Amino acid sequence: MPAVIDAAKCNGCKLCDLYCPLDVIHMEGEVAVVRYPDECWHCGACRQECARGAVSFRFPWAMLAA
Amino acid sequence: MRASHDIEADVAIIGGGTAGLNSAMAAAEAGCDVLVVDKANIVRSGAIAGGIDHFFAYMDSGEPWDTREAYLGWAGRVARGAVDLEVQEAVYCDELKAALERVERIGVSLRQPDGKIFRTAALGQPGPYAINFDGKLLKPKMAVEVKRRKCKVLNRVQVTNLYLHGGEFAGFTGFDIRAGDFYRIRARAIVIATGNTNRMYNAQVGNPFNLWYCPANTGDLHRAAFDAGVALANMEYVRMTIVPKGFSAPGFNAFFGMGAQLVNSLGEPFVKNYHEMGNKAPRNFVVWGALQELKAGRGPIYMDCRHLKAKELEHLFFTLGIDKDTLPEFLHARGYAKDGAMIEMTVSEPMQARPSELCGSGIRIDASCASNVPGIFAAGDASDQMGCLHMATAGGFAAGKHAAAYAKKRGPLLPLDPKAMAEEEERVFRPLGRSSGISYREFENIVRAICSDHFGPVKTELSLKAALDKLGRLDAAREELRADNLHELMRTHEAMNIHAVSKISAAAALERRESRFPPYHYRADYPETDDENYCGLMVIQKRPDGGVTTRLDKLRYAA
Repeated sequence: MPAVIDAAKCNGCKLCDLYCPLDVIHMEGEVAVVRYPDECWHCGACRQECARGAVSFRFPWAMLAA
Repeated sequence: MRASHDIEADVAIIGGGTAGLNSAMAAAEAGCDVLVVDKANIVRSGAIAGGIDHFFAYMDSGEPWDTREAYLGWAGRVARGAVDLEVQEAVYCDELKAALERVERIGVSLRQPDGKIFRTAALGQPGPYAINFDGKLLKPKMAVEVKRRKCKVLNRVQVTNLYLHGGEFAGFTGFDIRAGDFYRIRARAIVIATGNTNRMYNAQVGNPFNLWYCPANTGDLHRAAFDAGVALANMEYVRMTIVPKGFSAPGFNAFFGMGAQLVNSLGEPFVKNYHEMGNKAPRNFVVWGALQELKAGRGPIYMDCRHLKAKELEHLFFTLGIDKDTLPEFLHARGYAKDGAMIEMTVSEPMQARPSELCGSGIRIDASCASNVPGIFAAGDASDQMGCLHMATAGGFAAGKHAAAYAKKRGPLLPLDPKAMAEEEERVFRPLGRSSGISYREFENIVRAICSDHFGPVKTELSLKAALDKLGRLDAAREELRADNLHELMRTHEAMNIHAVSKISAAAALERRESRFPPYHYRADYPETDDENYCGLMVIQKRPDGGVTTRLDKLRYAA
C-alpha cells in the first residue's frame, strides 16, 4: 500500500480524491479510499491537501528491500 | 443515455500542467475566452503535482557564464542536434525575465528564507544556472491564477482526438473519466501541453507507476496530433536518469548540484572516466557511465554524500523532499541517515522524452510555437523544443500569446463533422461494452516488454525492425481491450496511446543511423555521432494515406 488513509481521521472533505493526479483515490460514502494502490506515484499531493493528517505512506517491500 | 456536451472557446489548452497553465494565463491576458482541459485536476496535475525545487536561469549578474549568450552556448553544446536555438531564443530567452517575475507574482518565492537567490551547477552548465527554491505550492498557485484570470477549466476530461476542417484545426473530442459524459469542443486555436510519454518501459521493482516522471503522461496528444497530420520531432530519444534503488524519484540535479558524487561498488568515483566534468557532466554522460559500470560488474552504484558538510546535507535532504514529497521518508525507511549517507542508486526506467533539459520531444514547433497545422500550437514537454520547469513556464506563456494572436485573426469557428463525432463516441466507449477481452494491464505489459527488449539504452536496425513488427502485430489486440469502468477506460486509451507512441519512436530511431546523446539514442550498429549527416531533427509525420514519412531538418550551431 502506498498512500494509506486513516478512515478514523478522514472527515470526507474529498480533496485527496479531487486532486490525486492518477485517479487513485475515490470516495466511498463519506470516506476516501485508495482504490488503485498499484497506480500511486507517491507524489504526496493527497497528503499535502489533507488538513486532518489522515494520509500517510507505506512503501511496499519491493521498494524498501530490493 | 450518455450525456454529451458541445463547448466553444477562442483558445483551448489541452493539458493543465506548468506549460498549459502558463499558456492559459497568456491567452487570457490577451483577452481570449480560454478553456483548459486536463485528465486530472489542474490544482495537482502533471510533472510538478507534488512540488519542484529548481528553475534554470541566467541572471546577468556580471559573471561571464551568466548571460544569454553563455546559456545558448550551453544549449548548443549539450543539446546539439536536438535544440533549435532560434526557437530557444524566442520561447525561452525572450520570455525569461517575465517568467521569473510571474512565478514570484503568483506567490512563490524563488529565494531562500534569508532572501537570497541560491543557485547550483550540474548537467554540464558553465556556471550555477539552477535557482534552488521551495516550489511545493507552485502548481496550486498557478491554478489559482488561471481561475483568477477567468479561464474555464474542464477537469477529469481525457481528450481522445483532434479534428481539422479544410486543413485547419477545428476542434477535439474527449470524455469525463468519472461521469462518462462525451465532449465535442470547438476552438479557434489550441495549445497542446500534455507532457512526454511514460509507462513505455519496464520500471524498477516491477511497478509501471513507480516512475521518475508523471505516469499520467502517456503521449495521448502526441498520438492524436500525429494522427491529425501534425509533424513530430525528437521522438527517437529515450531518456533515463539516476534514481534511488527501489524508488524512481527525481533528485539528480539536487544531489549533484549540492556536490554528491556517484561511486561504484569499489567505492571509486567513476563519472570522470566518461566525461571530463565528472558528476557535473550532462545527464546522458552520467547515465552512460553508470550503465557501463553496472555492465562491467562494478555495481551496485552509490550516491556518496559522506564528504558533504552537515549544513549541505541538511539542505540536500530538505530540497529532495521539495522535488519529491515522499523521498526523504523513503530514504529514512531504507535506513539512510543524513550523516555518512551512501545511498544505493540505479539507472531509472527509460521514458520516451527529450534528450536534454534544453529541448523537448514531440510536436515540431517554430519560433511562434506553431505546428505545421494552422491553429495547433504546442508547449512544454509535448513540444519538440521545450522541457523542464524553466521552459514550460517561459515557453508556455509564449505559446499562449501566439495561439491567442492566431485565434483573434481567425474567423468563425470551424465545424465538426457529425458523422465523425458519432463514430468517435462509439470508438471511445467500445471497450466498456466488451464482456470479455484483455485488460490494459496485460496489453501495456506486452508493449513494455517489446520496448524494453528492443529499443531501450541500446538499439540496432534489427532490434528496431523486430520491435516494429511485434508492435504492429499487437494492433489486433487493441480490438479486444476491455474496460470494466471509466477509470479502466481511461487507462485503456492511455495504453493504446503508449502503444502508438512506441511505434512512432521506433520508426524515428530506425532512421537515425548514428548515435546521439548515448544512451538516449545509442545505435550499436552506428555507435558514433555523425554530425555531418545527422546534426538536426528527425521529423516524423503521417501522410493523409496513412503512410509515415521522415525527414531530417538540419540545425546549425556556432563552432
